[in-house]
Amino acid sequence: MKDRLTDALRASRADFTEIRIERTWSSSVSFRGKRLESATASEDQGGFVRVADRGYGWGIAAFTSLDELPAMVRRARELSRAVRLDEPIRLADVAPSQAEAILDLDGDVRGVPLAEKRRLLEGYNGAMLAVPGVVDTQAVYRDEVTEYWFGNSEGTLLHELRPEITLSGQAIARRDGTIEKGLESIGLRRGWNSAQQHAAGFREVAERAAALLDAPTVTGGTYPVVLDNELAGVFIHEAFGHLSEADFVYENAQAREMMTLGRRFGRAALNVGDNGAAAGLRGTLPFDDEGTPTQDTSLIKNGVLVGRLHSRETAAALGERPTGNARAMSFRHAPIVRMTNTYIANGQGSVADLMKDIKLGVYACGAFGGQTLLENFSFTAAYGRMIRDGQPAELVKDVVLAGNLFQTLDRIERIAGDFRWNQMGGGCGKSGQFPLPVTEGAPHVRIEAALVGGDVPA
Amino acid sequence: MIERLVAAIRSRAEGGDAIWRQSEHTTVGFESGRLKACGVTEETGINLRVVRGGKVGVAGTTAADVEDLLSRALASAELGESVDIVFPGASALPEVSTYAPGAADASLERLTAIGAELVARLARPGCQINVSIEREIGTTQVAGTGGAEASYRTTGLGVSVDLARFAGDDVLFLSDQYLGTDLPSAGDLDALVRTIGDRYDRALTVVAPPEGALPVVFTPQGLSAILLPLRQALSGKAVLQGISPLGSKLGETVFDATLSLTDDPLLPGRPASRPVDDEGTASRRLPLVERGVVRAFVYDLETAARAGTKSTGNGSRGTFGKPVVEYTNMVVGDGVSDVGSSVLGGGLVADVRDGLVIDELIGVGQGNVIGGAFSHPVALAFRIERGEITGRVKDAAVAGNVYDLLKRIGSFGTDGRWLGTRWSSSVLLEGVSVARR
Repeated sequence: MKDRLTDALRASRADFTEIRIERTWSSSVSFRGKRLESATASEDQGGFVRVADRGYGWGIAAFTSLDELPAMVRRARELSRAVRLDEPIRLADVAPSQAEAILDLDGDVRGVPLAEKRRLLEGYNGAMLAVPGVVDTQAVYRDEVTEYWFGNSEGTLLHELRPEITLSGQAIARRDGTIEKGLESIGLRRGWNSAQQHAAGFREVAERAAALLDAPTVTGGTYPVVLDNELAGVFIHEAFGHLSEADFVYENAQAREMMTLGRRFGRAALNVGDNGAAAGLRGTLPFDDEGTPTQDTSLIKNGVLVGRLHSRETAAALGERPTGNARAMSFRHAPIVRMTNTYIANGQGSVADLMKDIKLGVYACGAFGGQTLLENFSFTAAYGRMIRDGQPAELVKDVVLAGNLFQTLDRIERIAGDFRWNQMGGGCGKSGQFPLPVTEGAPHVRIEAALVGGDVPA
Repeated sequence: MIERLVAAIRSRAEGGDAIWRQSEHTTVGFESGRLKACGVTEETGINLRVVRGGKVGVAGTTAADVEDLLSRALASAELGESVDIVFPGASALPEVSTYAPGAADASLERLTAIGAELVARLARPGCQINVSIEREIGTTQVAGTGGAEASYRTTGLGVSVDLARFAGDDVLFLSDQYLGTDLPSAGDLDALVRTIGDRYDRALTVVAPPEGALPVVFTPQGLSAILLPLRQALSGKAVLQGISPLGSKLGETVFDATLSLTDDPLLPGRPASRPVDDEGTASRRLPLVERGVVRAFVYDLETAARAGTKSTGNGSRGTFGKPVVEYTNMVVGDGVSDVGSSVLGGGLVADVRDGLVIDELIGVGQGNVIGGAFSHPVALAFRIERGEITGRVKDAAVAGNVYDLLKRIGSFGTDGRWLGTRWSSSVLLEGVSVARR
């Protein structure tokens, strides 16, 4: 395969050419209620070619028939020549790499019979079904190993083996018209060995779904809010991470002004970064999909904006250095600027310290989802507890946090010292590329005041 | 290819079906007002299902190795559960137009010209305009051991436009889209330009949000949050699992008598239309809610077999995984008519003393959707005062339960249009809870 790739690169007449080839073996098992939905193994393969001639734009060809590679290189060049540009595309320099990066497969999933994967998931699904009040479940096991080749006309040539494994569960509890859910989600860039011993987590979310049947809806209003590790991680990904992706600002002077390096975004305790090189996490890879080595990039330091995430193109446009954040979902897609493992760095003290002087507040835990539309965001916590007189008190549901990004970041007043990576499944969506494996991590954080929706007083 | 697949299934299994799909997808992208990239994706995929020993297995591939695919499907069936799927027999298929030669034959220059025209017409000082044109040409073949067999060609043409304006920390983001099997007409492009332009002009003034239980006009875009719980509840899968609030309401009046919802795969020129579904069941128009009465749920073959009913022709499958239940074209209201005025509010604001027009909400789909409760901050909303739209509202959130709100519909607007696969006009709902923040 490597020879076919280098031959095609050599034959290309374009000024810049890059080629990716991927072959993915995957298997998945899913249960709905007591019933197996499916257990199946799949094979996906294809290639991606991107070229640019000087003075022209990108020409892109993606294909499932690998025999077509040489023809697709020619096709991509024709497409590039159809895009006349006054300002040429510039790519920031990246030293060419040649690497064999076989990640730790941690028990190669390709050697494990499908029946054993089914047995594993049946156990986790059963742990949810056994909880009284649970009427329906969904459980999904998915694994894959991707063999990956990347090369470009500047001399980079990479060969990687990338494992991935995800487990997810949803428990639905129902009593009459009241329906509640609990979600478990685990995602790792690892293999079979790491898929074991997760039954307790599945049971816990099912028990919570049942408990929520009796929980009141939180009373809407503005409260001091403590976010748990998981929600704090999702918050920093959604509410800030996307703004730090340089393709959002690189061609827009006004957006650039909003995101000027040196602007204060929070208080001195706030430190935020994105680390694509952290070991064993879902967003971790040795190189991004432009062949740039991944790294730990500081985004907010002591409350001040100090960096952003780049592709080679956005880095060149802004005169900054590439950060290894150009990622593509698969050979079907072009690399765009994406996060990897995004985090709020550790502070000091425990979650009890954050709560002890809150008379009335909300402890928001877990995440059903989050969305940011530029400066506004909304997050749905999986559940919450009221904080009364410095202590976590009764369970509440429908905890939706909404707010303005800039105000809310500035209201993060304390950060605990109990950092944890989320290691969740799911993934990030942007420009039609979903779900891209990413993760987030954070300690508990305290927001001075945030709007909590739920029962909106009419 | 499809005959070969069915023959292979017959040789090793009791029954089964397969779908083979080939597509060429062309994208032209304008970023910040200039043409930046052209791309093409060619894809061929096969999804195959077998029944052996009464048990079902599936497998998919983009590599054209049929033997390997069949062995994987049989291995999947070994672990599979028993289900009595009846694969549809040969039948006369309805005529439906899914292929527009004009779109298939359009040159790259033609697609680029559409984008260039929109960029020029949408330009506003200090605004960033992105436009993308996507064209897909495809062939689908589906067949099964029951005797059903179909092959049809498709085209799809999508144009999406967005405008972003940053003023200090205020971000205004407007977007719209055209989707059809054919190239957009001059009128379609005019509608895109008018929709964005009208919202832009009105959004420049920012006003304070109202508060309380108020009348709210949901635009065809804004309606997504209201319809999502119904889409989930009308799925035969949710009914089978016992989690649909509508599961036991067949034949009952649940909504206002003006509310009708229809799944219609036979509408001409719509990319979700097709003569058969992805399991070989012939397409037919299916009223889901008729004048407030729940009439039907959507099913694929397996869900129908388990529920003891028949497939409604709503089986959908990709290259990987098993078929799933999916809607085709969702028509809200009495039926598809000519595209209405693209005036914001659809003519429904005149009678509103104090309220909102909701065009987009944040976080739709999060939380506990199927129960019908929602609570979302607004992404794009406008205030109505004394029958006039007075400006854009920023810091507000709306909440309610769609099952309560849809019991009493104020009225439908005159701005009926397609938005992706959904046809609807604006809808006025009373007593939506609006909060400031």
